[in-house]
Formats: sequence, structure tokens, C-alpha cells
Amino acid sequence: MIKLKNLTKRYDRITAVDRLTLSISKGELFGFIGPNGAGKTTTIRMIGGLLAPSEGAVFIDGVDMAREPEKAKKRIGLIPDRPFLYEKLTGMEFMCFIAEFYDVDRRHLEENADRLLTMFGLENRAHELIESYSHGMKQRLIMSSALLHEPPIIVVDEPMVGLDPRGIKMVRDLFRDMARSGTTIFVSTHTLKLAESICDRIGIINGGKLIAVGTMEQLKKAARVGEADLEEAFLQLTQTEASE
Amino acid sequence: MSGLSALIRPRWQSFKKEGLGVHQTAKKIILLLVGFVFWAGIFGVSFRVLTYFQQIEELGDILARKLLLMVLVTFLGLMIFSAILTALSKLYLSKDLNLVHSLPISSQKVFTARWIESTVDSSWMVIIYTLPVLISYGVVYETGPLFYLEILLSLVPLSIIGSAVSAILVLAAVVILPASRVRSIFFFLGLTALVIIYITFRILKPERLADPEAFISVLAYLQTMDAPSSPWLPSTWTFDSLTAALRGDVRNVLFHSALCWSGAAFSSFMAIGFAQHVYFKGFSKTQTAPGRLVSSSGKTFPLPRRFFSGPMRAFITKEIKTFWRDQSQWSQIFLMAALIVIYLYNFSVLPLEKAPIDTIFLQNLFSFLNMALASFVIIAITARFAYPSVSTEGGAFWIVLASPISIKAFLWIKFFIYLFPLLILSELLIVATNLLLHVSPFMMALSTITFLFLIPGVVALGVGLGAAYPNFASENPTQIVTSFGGLVFMMISVAYIGVVIVLLAGPVHHYLMANLRGIPLPFSLKIWFFVTFFAALALNLTAIFVPLRFGARRLSDRY
Repeated sequence: MIKLKNLTKRYDRITAVDRLTLSISKGELFGFIGPNGAGKTTTIRMIGGLLAPSEGAVFIDGVDMAREPEKAKKRIGLIPDRPFLYEKLTGMEFMCFIAEFYDVDRRHLEENADRLLTMFGLENRAHELIESYSHGMKQRLIMSSALLHEPPIIVVDEPMVGLDPRGIKMVRDLFRDMARSGTTIFVSTHTLKLAESICDRIGIINGGKLIAVGTMEQLKKAARVGEADLEEAFLQLTQTEASE
Repeated sequence: MSGLSALIRPRWQSFKKEGLGVHQTAKKIILLLVGFVFWAGIFGVSFRVLTYFQQIEELGDILARKLLLMVLVTFLGLMIFSAILTALSKLYLSKDLNLVHSLPISSQKVFTARWIESTVDSSWMVIIYTLPVLISYGVVYETGPLFYLEILLSLVPLSIIGSAVSAILVLAAVVILPASRVRSIFFFLGLTALVIIYITFRILKPERLADPEAFISVLAYLQTMDAPSSPWLPSTWTFDSLTAALRGDVRNVLFHSALCWSGAAFSSFMAIGFAQHVYFKGFSKTQTAPGRLVSSSGKTFPLPRRFFSGPMRAFITKEIKTFWRDQSQWSQIFLMAALIVIYLYNFSVLPLEKAPIDTIFLQNLFSFLNMALASFVIIAITARFAYPSVSTEGGAFWIVLASPISIKAFLWIKFFIYLFPLLILSELLIVATNLLLHVSPFMMALSTITFLFLIPGVVALGVGLGAAYPNFASENPTQIVTSFGGLVFMMISVAYIGVVIVLLAGPVHHYLMANLRGIPLPFSLKIWFFVTFFAALALNLTAIFVPLRFGARRLSDRY
């Protein structure tokens, strides 16, 4: 469903993402982890069509993002790490705004918007201006709007930032259920526990390069950490890469 | 003091690093050149006026003194108005305030650092553009270096006093009202005062000065008004010190300068002392979301699906709702409305019937000039609303990038959103002014049709160049317009309108002359009309398509 082919992004002399090649299949929950400045957000932005790669390509459900960006974007629900929204709209108005881009019909919008806002605990604040929302509420609203058109692919950057423990649990369960019902989820996170508990496969990026990819077992094996957890494997792999 | 200098240092460091690149230098050179042209223009006009005054026996000096007093009162007024807006942003609305207030430093020091920044930011431009007026006094009155030194020594304390008064007003106002609303209210009050002053000035009919009989009575009136102005006004102290310097009276210069500086020290002390008690209280109050003046109705606009695509409906609804709910936009609408009222009023008082030239010819001539003038009004409005429309997406621009529409389509949507209101406004403006001028049906048709083709070009230039030079970080649309891109937009728009008007001027002039003389239109003139029409049409189409394409390309290249 998501295919990255030699994906590269250069900013002047800095290479933020270096020849990243990756394939994520339908219904897979893929975790993307790495230290600060490793290139996670740049990769997410390229997958979501927010940033053009310097080289390489992104294929979404077989659609080339560079050639048919509109078609590719229709298949994605993007959830960025920082919840910048139109502050002067209400939560429900924002949902209606997003619906217009994805040809969501009136009946579907009414049903889904109410259901999603209730699911994310925003039903009582749906008609208030977004500017009065807290950081966590804005993050919940972005998640609601990203799921509105029922995309086959969800791309999430740091999903748990700003969420309370109840929200974290709800999102974790939601992602698991969605993946089970066939939605592909690409999640970038710093929360290793989250990645360890829900992801089918995990990719580790460091210095713009994909240094390891596989299931938890495969990563532990590659890091030679025995029965230790993902944190240990992550530290081992990123340290080895840095010393090389 | 160490805390204070640490708070000011980041600003100084950013200032030093600003514009180090080649592009930045080129931009700065262009801005400096434009700035210098304005500066020289002010100097030229002031010099001419003062030289003219000097030729009037007895009354010339009185008029020059009156003018100086008016300049200084205006300086103080502008300074207070500008410092209120700057102080509100610096003290209560800046994004970095949470960080600054979390530092182990007293709120009084935070206030002092921010107030110093605010004083510099709000005063430098007022000082620079007052300098040519004051320098022209020195040149005309052939004074020594003391006067030029005194200009700086007196303008600086006057700025400090103005800024301190503003800070005290802001500190007091924010305790009562939320900071975001105080800004709108002060803006409204300032503009209302400006419009009232203008209309009062117009009612006085200064054009009567051109009438020799009325001129004498007006001068006599001014002479009786040559009483000293209020000794409590800081501008009077500056005025006294400057006039003493003009005379070369060192003793009085020292006395009045001391008065200016002690006034500045006292007002600073008062502002800092007052801040110690109320600044943090006001800042804390600003953190809570203010109640809104307009409630969110939640109403949707019934835009028919047949005519509007989904993204178009979404953006139209979003733009309209955001616009009306943003209180900072209201003050801008008020400003534009004031501009239009003044514009229309000026046309209504034109004494055409008293002109020595044929009235019909003059009416048509004015109607033609009016096309250019009305276009400038529309450029100003486009600059304020359409130009920043891409930048005002701000941090939420990711939504546009992530949505399934191209940047090109997004810009076309923005273009159509702003085109219709601006086209309707410009047509109303041109028809209203033409009616006030009683122009011929030919000129009425010509100007309305010209606008129909001209305005889409201006709006496309605004949206396209706004996209080419976006500033997503800025929260203030006025600041977005005063950037390099805004200047480019203004210059290209003025040139574009100038070329269209010049193209039309030739055939229209010959047509009017033929009409005036009662001779039939020659065939060559008809051909000329057609060629002009198609040339103007080609230019208009270029002005629509090229900027939008350029903007889309530049904006896409950023990502």
C-alpha cells in the first residue's frame, strides 16, 4: 500500500533522508522510530505529499505521489505532529471543510462526523471555535478529520503528543482495530512502548538512513540484545550506527 | 541590569543576522531606494512650502512656526498611536512571552526590556520621516550645527515620552479588557480620530487659500491664533527648544532640552513603576481566551454543487467565516471604508463649474484620471486582503498541502474568492464617482468595461505574488503587505494600470476632441480603438495567468 523507492531529501548540504526504500503492505501497522533529527518527520511529510523528494518516489496504493498527487492524497489520512488548524472555525465546521475535499456526501458526513467527534470526546465542544481548544483537543480533532473519509492509509506523526492517558489508550486500540480491518497505518513515534505494543513491523531511521527494519524479534536479533525490549534494541542499533 | 540586557540581546543578535544573503541585500537596497525617494520627496515639499512662506512678509514666520508646531503635535500623536499597537504586541501578544515569563526574572524587567524594544520599533520610522521636514527648516533659515544637533536631542525624548504614555495607557487598558480586543478598540479610536480630523480639515476648505481675498482673511485669522500652545504638552517643549535653536539662543535651547529630557525620565519612571504593579496581572489575564464579540452561528452557506466544486465550497465558507470572526479584520474594513468615503467626498466637492476650461471636457478628463485613482484604491484594498490571503493560512497550510487539490487549483480558488467582492466594489466606486462627475455615457461605459478587465489582473497579481512571497509565520496581515513581495506587488500593479491607462489615453483623447468639435470619427481612430482594445485585453490576460502560474511554481518549489 505504501512504497518508498530510494526516497531522498536534501536541504542545501544536509541530507535529511537518504535513499530510503521501504514497502508496507495492506493492513500492516508499521512503526517508524529514530532519534531527534533522524528524518522521521521529513519522511512523513514526503509520504503525505507535503514535501517533494529530491530524488526517489512515493507510491500510495500504486499511485505515484509525484505524478498524481491529488489521486494519491485521496487515499491518505494524514495526522501531523503539530495541530495547526483554522482557529476561527468550530470543530464541526472544520470537519465539514475537510469533507468537501474528499467527496464525502452529506449523509455520510453527518453520521461519521458525529460518531468520530463523540469517539474522540469532542461532542460537547463541536460547536465551539478551535481557538478555545487545548493542544490535546486539537490533536483529537485532526485525528477525527483524518478518519472522516475512511482512508485506506493512515500516516501519523507522533500520535500521542498532547493526549491524556485515556486518549492514548483509545488511539492505541483504534489503530489496532483499524489495522485488523485492513487499514494500513504508518506511525512515526518516540514512544517506543507504543511501537513495541502495537506495530507489526518497525523501521529505525538514523541520520536519514533506514538502519534496520523488521518485526520485534528480527530487530532484537539484529541488535544482539537477546530478550531485552525495543528500547535496548533501539539504543544498541543507533549507537552502532553512530560509532560507524 | 544583567537580566535586562540578556532579554534585549536576542533581538539585537537577530537584527545583526538579518539579511546576510545576496537576495536579502538586493531586497534591502530596493527598499532603501524607495524609502529614500519618499524621504527626498518630503524634504522637497517642505523646502518649497517654507521658501514660499518666507516670501510672505510678517506672516511667513508665523506660518512656519505654526507648521512646525503642527508637525510636532502630529509626531507625538503618531508616536502614541504607533507605540500603543507595538506595545500591545510586545507586552501581551508575542509568542515568546511564555518563555520569557518562565525565566527567573522580575516582570518589571521583562516590561522594561519589551518597552525599550517597543519604543525603538515604533519611533524609528516616525523620526526618520520627520527629519526631512525639520532639516528643511535648518536649510531655509540657514542655521548652524546647533539646530541639527537639537533635532536629535529633542526628538528622542519626545519619542520616549510618547512611548511611555502609550505603555501606561496599554497597561491600564489590559487590566480591564483582553489584549486582543484592546488592539482593535485603539485602532478604531485612532482611525475615527483621523477621519474626523480629515473631514474637519476638508470642511475648512483649504482651497480657499488660492483665492486672494479669502487668503488675506485666513492669514489674519491664523495670526490671531499665534498664541503659545499648552505648556503641558511635550510637543511644546520640543517646539520651544527647536525654535530657540533656530534663533541660536543657546540658553533657551538648554532650558527646553532639559525640560524634554526630564519629562522623558519622569514618564519612563512612571511607566516602569506602574508596570511593577499591573503588568503581570494583565499578562496573566491575556492568557485566558477572551469572550467573542460575534458568536459562531454554525450556519453554512448554501453554495450550489452544480457551480462550485467541493474544495471551492470549502474554501469560500472557510474564508468568509474566518474573515468575520477575526476582529482584527474589522479595523481594516473600517480603514478601507474611511479611505473610500474620503475618496468619494473629494469628488463631491470638486468645483468643476468654476473651472475656466470647458466643463464637459474637464468632466471626461477627470473621469479618465479617476480610473487610475480608483485603481490605486483597489490596489490598496487588494494589497490588504488578497495579497496576504495565502500567508494567512499560516501553520494550517499543511491542510492545503495534504488535501487532494493542486497548489494551482488552490490559488485559482483564492483568486475567485477575492475577485468578486473586489470587482463589485471597484465597479461601485467607479460608477459612484462618475455619477458625481456627471460624465458622458461613453466615459461611463469605458471606465466600467476597463475595470471589468483590469481588476482580475490586479487580484491575480495580489494572489500570485502573495503566494510567491509567502510569510506563514506572520500573524499580522498588515506586516505581510509591508514585505518585499508586497512592494513588488504594488510596483507591478501600478505599472500594469499605468500601461493600460496610457494605452487608452490616446484614442480616448482623440475621440473626445472629435466629439467636442462635432466632427465624425475618422476610420483610423476606429482601427486605433480596436488595436488598443486587443492590446489591453492581452495585457489583462497576461496579468491574470502569469502571476498565478508564477505563484504556484514558487510555492510548490518551497516544498
